[in-house]
Amino acid sequence: MEKGKVRTFFTYVDERYALVRAHPAIKIVSLVVLNVIPWVIEAPVPLASFLTSLLLAAALLKAPLSKLKDYLPYLLLVAQAVALSYVLGSRIPGNAVYIEFPWGCYVTDRTLLYMASVMLRISSMLVGSTLIFLSLRDTDVVYGLTSLGVPFAAAFAFNLALRFSSLFLDDYARVRDAMLLKGVRLDAGSPLERAKLLSRTAVPLMVIAVRRMQDLSFALELKGFPPSGKRTYFYRFRWSRADVAVFALLVAATAAVAVAKVATPIFRFPGWPFV
Amino acid sequence: MIDARKVAVMAVTAGLCLPLALFAIILVPVPGLPAASGFWIPAGFYFVMTLWFGVWGALGGHIATFLAMGYFQGFTLQVWADGALGDLMAPLVALMVFKLMGAHPDLKDRKDKMAWLIGVPIASLVCGLWVHTVNLYFGVITWPFWWVGVLTYFIGDSLAVFIVGTPLLRSLTSYVKQSPMYIWRD
Repeated sequence: MEKGKVRTFFTYVDERYALVRAHPAIKIVSLVVLNVIPWVIEAPVPLASFLTSLLLAAALLKAPLSKLKDYLPYLLLVAQAVALSYVLGSRIPGNAVYIEFPWGCYVTDRTLLYMASVMLRISSMLVGSTLIFLSLRDTDVVYGLTSLGVPFAAAFAFNLALRFSSLFLDDYARVRDAMLLKGVRLDAGSPLERAKLLSRTAVPLMVIAVRRMQDLSFALELKGFPPSGKRTYFYRFRWSRADVAVFALLVAATAAVAVAKVATPIFRFPGWPFV
Repeated sequence: MIDARKVAVMAVTAGLCLPLALFAIILVPVPGLPAASGFWIPAGFYFVMTLWFGVWGALGGHIATFLAMGYFQGFTLQVWADGALGDLMAPLVALMVFKLMGAHPDLKDRKDKMAWLIGVPIASLVCGLWVHTVNLYFGVITWPFWWVGVLTYFIGDSLAVFIVGTPLLRSLTSYVKQSPMYIWRD
């Protein structure tokens, strides 16, 4: 591990990234809030402002912004889906009609504006979630969820599911290597043929899974799962004043956006300044 | 109430489905439709796990789908709400069909086979309807493209479940019956 780096769920991040040190419950609440706010907002300008603020905050908090480029292919996939879907299949009235199709759909200035809104909404969710996930350590899931009142057994079950994935990646690689050594070409043929070949890994993987399931249930029972009575924790996360303030701010911001959407047109499409 | 067996079923199902979900997304992406693989291999696994071990198998599939989709598409509300919740519902619908028909997952008699043949398409259709209605609600697609998404999802998901799940149920159910987590008793 490089000096000055912290291990989080998917990668190593700079220890100066301020969110890494935040209370685990704040990370989980932020993940929800940063997705709910762009979901509520429909108007392009407020969405663009939200995305810009997120990027500025990320830069100020020393977030590893370069990691966002991993999701560019997905954003391009969404962009082409949105473009195809709205150009060929929408009827959004506007001030100018650019194209009209024989099946009754048309493209107006407002169609383009709505497409921009959808892209800004998905981008905001993506940027917000990625910044939080980059700061999330495996312990944060259990500690964050229990801090928010989720029973330890449920939080532990979720975390265990996350951790088990890497074990099966190894099993899958072993089964696939055995197939390759027997002469199977997993990269040849049509997509359906490749998918069928890949599905042949099913039986050995399933046998491994059933055995592992029994071993795991015995191990958990021997360790006294589910815990009865009050348990102790290896780490202690205390709520600082800053954590409480951030928590209150997140809840207030979500409520304010929801109320403003209902009470005023600023967050409803087309929103300010197009109203 | 959560106990060690239920946690084991969920954790192992999630762990098993995750690498397969990652490969399914790479293998057959559907152009123009985000969050849809034409051949969703893990569906075959979590359908089978749910039929053998109940609701906790479906929860494992749900976690695996969210993590796999999130890896490529970001861990967003939209990704969770469409693919991951949809993949939680689908195997539960199939389990309900089996329960309602009084069928068993070893596919031995006619009733079992009928439940499988009816349950999988119904479950895939419910999942397809959910996924693309969520996509529509988030504004990613429009109504004229909604049915295209539902149809491709229905075909891809049903195919994957039949191709992967049928041999698993036929060849491994007698082996799995020895497990204390197996939910069906003859």
